[in-house]
Amino acid sequence: MTVAKRRPATAIILTTLEGVPGKEVIEHYGLVQGSTIRAKHIGKDILAGFKNIVGGELKGYTELLQEARQESVDRMVMQARQLGANAVINVRFATSAVAPGAAELFAYGTAVKVQ
Amino acid sequence: MKYVPKEIKEEVNVTAVHPLVNFGYLLGTVTLAGVILYASLGFIAARLATRIGPETEEKIGNTLIAGLISDPESASDDRIIYLTALAESLTPQDPSLPPLKIHILQPETASEDDLANSENAFAIAGGHIVFTQGLLEAVESENELAFVLAHEMGHLHNRDSLKAMGRSLVFLMLVSVLGQGQSGGARVIPATINVANLSYSRSQESAADRYAIALIVQHYDHGGGSLGFFERMQQQELDLGALNTVTEWQSTHPLTRARISRIKQIAAAQNWKMQGELTPLPEGISCVDFVCED
Amino acid sequence: MEFIIFIALLAIGFFAGSYAEQKHYLEIKQRERKSLHVPLMNFGAKQELPYAHEAQMFVGSVVIANDYFKTFAATLHNLVGGRVVVYESLLDRGRREAVLRMKEEAIAWGASQVVNVRFETSNIGGQETTRTPAMVEVIVYGTGIR
Repeated sequence: MTVAKRRPATAIILTTLEGVPGKEVIEHYGLVQGSTIRAKHIGKDILAGFKNIVGGELKGYTELLQEARQESVDRMVMQARQLGANAVINVRFATSAVAPGAAELFAYGTAVKVQ
Repeated sequence: MKYVPKEIKEEVNVTAVHPLVNFGYLLGTVTLAGVILYASLGFIAARLATRIGPETEEKIGNTLIAGLISDPESASDDRIIYLTALAESLTPQDPSLPPLKIHILQPETASEDDLANSENAFAIAGGHIVFTQGLLEAVESENELAFVLAHEMGHLHNRDSLKAMGRSLVFLMLVSVLGQGQSGGARVIPATINVANLSYSRSQESAADRYAIALIVQHYDHGGGSLGFFERMQQQELDLGALNTVTEWQSTHPLTRARISRIKQIAAAQNWKMQGELTPLPEGISCVDFVCED
Repeated sequence: MEFIIFIALLAIGFFAGSYAEQKHYLEIKQRERKSLHVPLMNFGAKQELPYAHEAQMFVGSVVIANDYFKTFAATLHNLVGGRVVVYESLLDRGRREAVLRMKEEAIAWGASQVVNVRFETSNIGGQETTRTPAMVEVIVYGTGIR
């Protein structure tokens, strides 16, 4: 995955608030969204099956979902950059099972320009 | 705060890859992994099969035969005695294998009528060889019958039926994993237990043929007439010309035509006579206890 | 015979599915351009109520399903893992369609903007087997003001 490498030079501010504290929103460009769908693979399934016997954290899945969620955020940020925004406010996540064994990681927010 | 309408032109939420390219990658990966898994598991299963002791093998065989013939122990038929003696005369019992037990599948006692009426013979783990009534009605000389018997003895000798079961079990496992559900597995279980349809690889079939022709030549001093049954089968088979190779590749049983020529090649290489006097079958081979009622 | 039917279904799924998808995307883009003047935002809950005469809730929803080709590809994805490319366009289309339905309804009502927009996605296809196509409902809701 090249998720980390695609990180922008000028970082876009992400907040879950309705603005950016200490800054003023001067323009807004509407909704931006990023989504990715991931399938777990059979190898990890079998390992997870073993882990289910003893319980505890499923490290493989945690990593998988973290990586996927990062990608959905990155895609959202790419949309924001296309619009010329420098912040995305009120970011929300939604994870949903699309099909057995496949989950969608979805992130959305409002692209704005702050000063 | 004012709204500036701008259009998002670039698609970021859809990966730019042609669906067919993606599909090819998926299919390739899965096929490769499947082939590796199947081959390695089949190898392990074959290894395991040869390590099963004769007693365990007999137990497996008894369960399998019970599903086929309602009461195999009590079946008394003089033809079984004749066939057992014939087998004994071909080659003495190998002490490391379970003792040979011959069964005749009658339409009345078999769980499947169709199978009993078809011209078939098969070997089951644990030293069982099953002849169908249909086969006994179709054979025309003892040499033919002995060849079929020897072929099945070859399978037992090579423990092919155990190996084939191992493969089936591997296949069952694969399908249940791929299907990720009970529905897929349930469909395969009957196919696995259906011993009459146990499929051997073509090399296993050829090995059994080689084993059989050697026994026949040793017993009768010639291989003449032993292939009569197959030659009659060949006449029923359609000649598809160039398509023959395709159909042969599809089925695990080699085409009868190719089979006959392979056996003849083996005989020619060993300088075995393939012509000679036929030994007649005992009267009434097609009837229980050799007694035919009109 | 079963195999031939399977291949035929795959081919039908692929060609019909791709054609429908291309057409839908063209339509979506056109409608998006037409409704671009009304802003959507997903904040507005914790701010002072915006000055407006009227407000009303708008909901846009769409249920989408995969074609046979994509369903089969997704089954393979289940074994391989990683990014499920075949579902991406499905959900992207579905979500944009749902947004457009909400937005067009709001525009017809006369909204000047839609605030506090929320997305919801749920699988309504059940979990029994991997062979059943994915059925996903996307719902978008927000408050239109005028």
